[in-house]
Amino acid sequence: MKIILATTGVPFVQGGASLMADWLGQTLRARGHHVELLEFPFDSRWEDLLAQMLAFRLIDVSQQGDILVAIRPPSYLLKHPNKVIWFIHHLRSAYDLWGTRYQDLPSSPEGLRLREAILRADNLAFAEARKIYCNSHVMAERLAAFNGVQAEVLYPPLFQPERFRGGEAGDYLLYVSRLTHHKRQWLAVEALRYTQTPVRLVLAGKPDPGGESYLQELRSLIERYRLSNRVVLMDRWIPEEDKIMLLAECLAVVYLPFNEDSYGYASLEACHAGKAILTTADAGGACELVLHGVNGIVLAPDPEALGAAMDRLYLDRAMAQRMGEAGRQRIAQLGISWDQVVEKLLS
Amino acid sequence: MKLAIVNNCVPFVAGGAEHLAEALTQKLREYGHEAVLIRIPFRWDPPTKIIESMLACRFLRLPNVDRVVALKFPAYLVPHSDQMLWLLHQFRQAYDLWGTPFQGLPDTPEGRRVRDVVLEADNRYLRQARKIYTNSQVTSDRLRHFNGIDSEVLLPPLADNSRFFCDGYGDYVVYLGRITASKRQQLAVEAMKYVTTEVRLVIAGQHETSADLAQIESLIKQHRLAHRVQLIPRFISEEEKITLLSKALACAYFPYDEDSYGYVTLEAYYSRKPVITCRDSGGICTMVKDQVTGLVVPPDPRSVAAAIDRLYLDRTAARRMGEAGLELLRSLQISWDRVIEAFTR
Repeated sequence: MKIILATTGVPFVQGGASLMADWLGQTLRARGHHVELLEFPFDSRWEDLLAQMLAFRLIDVSQQGDILVAIRPPSYLLKHPNKVIWFIHHLRSAYDLWGTRYQDLPSSPEGLRLREAILRADNLAFAEARKIYCNSHVMAERLAAFNGVQAEVLYPPLFQPERFRGGEAGDYLLYVSRLTHHKRQWLAVEALRYTQTPVRLVLAGKPDPGGESYLQELRSLIERYRLSNRVVLMDRWIPEEDKIMLLAECLAVVYLPFNEDSYGYASLEACHAGKAILTTADAGGACELVLHGVNGIVLAPDPEALGAAMDRLYLDRAMAQRMGEAGRQRIAQLGISWDQVVEKLLS
Repeated sequence: MKLAIVNNCVPFVAGGAEHLAEALTQKLREYGHEAVLIRIPFRWDPPTKIIESMLACRFLRLPNVDRVVALKFPAYLVPHSDQMLWLLHQFRQAYDLWGTPFQGLPDTPEGRRVRDVVLEADNRYLRQARKIYTNSQVTSDRLRHFNGIDSEVLLPPLADNSRFFCDGYGDYVVYLGRITASKRQQLAVEAMKYVTTEVRLVIAGQHETSADLAQIESLIKQHRLAHRVQLIPRFISEEEKITLLSKALACAYFPYDEDSYGYVTLEAYYSRKPVITCRDSGGICTMVKDQVTGLVVPPDPRSVAAAIDRLYLDRTAARRMGEAGLELLRSLQISWDRVIEAFTR
């Protein structure tokens, strides 16, 4: 089959969507399909949203390929007679982030009009699609609530997950993620403050472009709580091989984002590596993957409670290991696999 | 420095421009820069689609990029405050091909309107670029002639020239490239009717349409040339190409008025092979010195046949010209060092 994969991204920023598109492309090619991967640049500044959305209506790939699979917004505005959307999130400011501190559209009449335009454009694109899959139940619910769309959950797998291996549990908790405010690395630092054991915390990931102030915030937090000897801040992109090693030797994985669309590759990697996951009930998609007391711990976003859980993982290695093992079974239970993805998308 | 290479594409179709865009991106990375290749689908039929594609490019944004290097129309219309061009060609249907059989755009009020829009956009936006390099003197001359815009020629190197080699001068002339009317493989086939020696012709390349392929096949059949002409109608690997060139007597390339000198010329010279081309082939004529690095002949089958026979009968001349071609490349300093320096200055 000739397959066009479309997504968007900020150049040089490795997001989940570009990985998903890249891995899907490699998987499809390995199965003998012709794949044209188009990753369009996209600037999420609200002043430029409408113009860019229009660009996607004007770019015409409708004559090429047997199927278009569109991933990140607004790439699904592209027209194609056989369009399938693998939906991962909305332009969130106009949807679930509207009215929260993360809303970056203005609440002015202009902002309201823009929000309305985004909703209408999305509804049009969804109506054109032959089928809409999404990456989590969180997304399926949002699509139903905001757009009245029935989407089927299709979990995105990791590429060559067998690369992730287990290992002897060390004395550190690992949080691998972009360093950005809503990932709440700061909450992990706050929690560590309440621990009684010498458990350590490794924060690894690249800061967002222009994210120096958040990085500074984290540094001063670590300083203020005198945690410099127990927190390692690796503020850079971590090569895969290093990440695999960090994971193999960690005690457990911490993942505390605020209301995310999906489970996040970090938590899926933890499952493949056989590590327990500490997360929060308001983390969003991660709660679909992590069952409290089974393959991890799910708590309220309260530093003290999280700190106590960190201690528990440190003191009860057998429990940490048992939960890690359960993570592998959880993947199978949810049917997260490329076989599943390819079959569904191309059916 | 973070650079975005911006180019057009037609999904599932790749040619010289796509390979150059990829090579540039790769080389920038090798030289220690961050580089990303951005490809924007371009559709030109019906002609109103051209204007839609132009608008789409104007509406796109390129955040988190220090510099843009754009290669083709309409990709160079994507706005950015620090833009450079390595212009491979303009939208030729609106320029030099207008009024020729390859015009493409209809000569109707609508077609003329599209042409006007293309010209106006080029005149306005090309001037905003920090610097315009082109891939050949032909492209620079056209830009000067049609738009009054100055540019500098920066000859594109091969992605990797180190693998080409010479393994003698065999009994065949090789014609590489996409099989399509404007590349004129048919001229090479017709020439084979008139050769007087035992020379053979090998045509290798992916066909653009099945009609293009059918035409060449029927020409070979019609002139009963199956024993002299070998057709390899598919994409050939780098390995196959290198081997074909290494044993060839010479390389033939007769496109109609192309902008660039064609990679195949470089590949031939790195394999120490002379190049036979036609006076009306365009940019390639700046790279083939008649009687020195190859033979430049009128675009008719008998003249082509005479040139092929001459090289077949005088292998010493073939070798001399092939070696002179390699010398020419060295004197022109076609190198990635120069290209990267130009775009990161």
